[in-house]
Amino acid sequence: MSMQTLTSLSASPPAQSKRNRFRLATGSWALPAVLFLVAFLIVPLVANAFRSVTLGEAALNPWAYYEKLLLDSYYSGIFFTTFKVSLVTTLCTLVLGYPVAYFMVRYAGRWNALILFCMIAPLLTSIIMRTFGWRVLLARRGLINVWATDLGIISRPLDILNDPLVVYIGLVHVMAPFMVLSITAVLQGVDVRLEESARVLGANRWRTFRHITLPLSLDGIATGCMLVFVITNGSFLTMLLLGGGKVQTLSLLIYQQFNLTQDVGFAAAMGNVLLISAMVCVALQTRFVRRRGVKA
Amino acid sequence: MVSVPLSLRGISKSFGNVQALKPLSLDVGAGEMIALLGPSGCGKTTTLRSIAGFEQPDTGAIYIGPHDVTELPPNLRDLGMVFQNYSLFPHMSVGENVAFGLKMRGIARADRERRARDLLKLVRLGDFADREIHQLSGGQQQRVALARALVTDPKILLLDEPLGALDKNLRESMQFELREIQRRLGITSILVTHDQEEALTMSDRVAVMSAGEIVQIGAPAEVYEKPVNRFVADFLGTANIFSGSALAPEADGTWRVALSGTEPVEARITTNKALAAGERVTFAVRPERLLIGPPDGPGLTARVRDVVYRGSFLTYELDAAGRTTPLFVYGQTRAPVPVSSAVRLTWEPDCAVLLEGRA
Repeated sequence: MSMQTLTSLSASPPAQSKRNRFRLATGSWALPAVLFLVAFLIVPLVANAFRSVTLGEAALNPWAYYEKLLLDSYYSGIFFTTFKVSLVTTLCTLVLGYPVAYFMVRYAGRWNALILFCMIAPLLTSIIMRTFGWRVLLARRGLINVWATDLGIISRPLDILNDPLVVYIGLVHVMAPFMVLSITAVLQGVDVRLEESARVLGANRWRTFRHITLPLSLDGIATGCMLVFVITNGSFLTMLLLGGGKVQTLSLLIYQQFNLTQDVGFAAAMGNVLLISAMVCVALQTRFVRRRGVKA
Repeated sequence: MVSVPLSLRGISKSFGNVQALKPLSLDVGAGEMIALLGPSGCGKTTTLRSIAGFEQPDTGAIYIGPHDVTELPPNLRDLGMVFQNYSLFPHMSVGENVAFGLKMRGIARADRERRARDLLKLVRLGDFADREIHQLSGGQQQRVALARALVTDPKILLLDEPLGALDKNLRESMQFELREIQRRLGITSILVTHDQEEALTMSDRVAVMSAGEIVQIGAPAEVYEKPVNRFVADFLGTANIFSGSALAPEADGTWRVALSGTEPVEARITTNKALAAGERVTFAVRPERLLIGPPDGPGLTARVRDVVYRGSFLTYELDAAGRTTPLFVYGQTRAPVPVSSAVRLTWEPDCAVLLEGRA
């Protein structure tokens, strides 16, 4: 709201016309991007939606797949697992990521660049490589089992690789950078003198955090949480490669429907449901961030 | 409200191998306002941050009243502080900002709202409690910051360049207003500033700092009129620096001096230091203390190089015979002396102040 008012105020008529005359980019410049998106995003999405109400079982009843998804207790269980996995992953990355972000912004100083590099470098590696890394570490004769056995902590190798917990470890590892980077971006805008003001006014470290730092970094937390939640919702590689297939989520199911069952119509319906849930999250995030647009 | 003194006893601080603060001692009397004045990097901010508890001094101790607070965290020192950019909490209303300190002390909501309203009245923002911070002007934000700092009845008020972000007119009126409130409450205060005018206007005593130590401390008039060295003379306004050699004392305690670097002229300076005849001396005369006289009178021969109209006064720039740096004189705007006139410059002996060290 206030941003809009500000822009309209600053754009006074004479300046506007002058700027237009010398403007290099016009609306038509967006055409290639628009064409690309139409061809490779909009058209496939529409086709997908179409498939979900016409193919296979949907040939008789267009909503057959959606009814199955929402009413069958097996599938609603998968919905529940999907959201549970995403929620737990989001909370874990938040709890682990916030202190890292805070340290980077407030204390790291010249080490900041190094930490940032360490955060981003894994993103340059394929997610498959990172996930296989965990398999190597956690395998029955992997590094952790061997060390733990040698040290006498366990008497014989454990089957940790196929424990559902490993899915969470893998997901948190992959998602942590998104959370940390979202929070650092906002924390950097929180003036350290606001925290000092609170300290002088009698707030100890915890209350300074609770009353000043945390509320002022909510935007970053919201962005990070939504980002992690939505990406986790859509990721299936981690569930496929870790945890021995015990954690069944919607995206893994889609993968299986396409590649194993080859029930394309059902997969398309599930894809749409996942897409809609992601859009709801993004809409919530935008609303939330806009509403609390504060100048720090 | 009971005023308490503040005492810094030999505090020092180094950052890496940079000594920000040499062992520094300062006693601030109960209810007194002291300005720490100096260029950036002189240690004034480090001193303030040490008092606030944001920096831990390497040596020395800080006493508030009878209590050693050196080891206490900032929230237990019972201070009020106004920051340069006000540091108001953007996610709270004006009233919540002011009441924050009371909330942290566990005061009930009704009580703290009443007290916050009282403080807002004190800074003449009685009806502003429900406003948002971004709706306020710079001057109003400054007042809110002051109200927030004073709401807990702090023992010491710390002001870190409090008026630095305001425009000139507002700054001047706020100087008086802040000073008036400080006097009325009788709160012991430290003002950190690089603005000499602000320091002179607002404080009981000015401590001029350079390179981590206090170079001179005294009442504003004393520091301005009797600077101890060239740094203080230059930092507080403009100073004309002369050098020469001591000739002989006069009966009234002044000394006759032969100026060097100019035509050989005898001048008189004031000093309470024992000088030896023939000793090299450096002294300063303020531009408003130099008097322009007719060319056939006594004094130092000079020629007007330029005259600048400054509104309430004129600044003359003069070349004195044999001297490389120009002299500056402030004069009345009525009947200005024209450019390139030959004149003579004189001063009263008590306006020429002996400085420590060479020019």
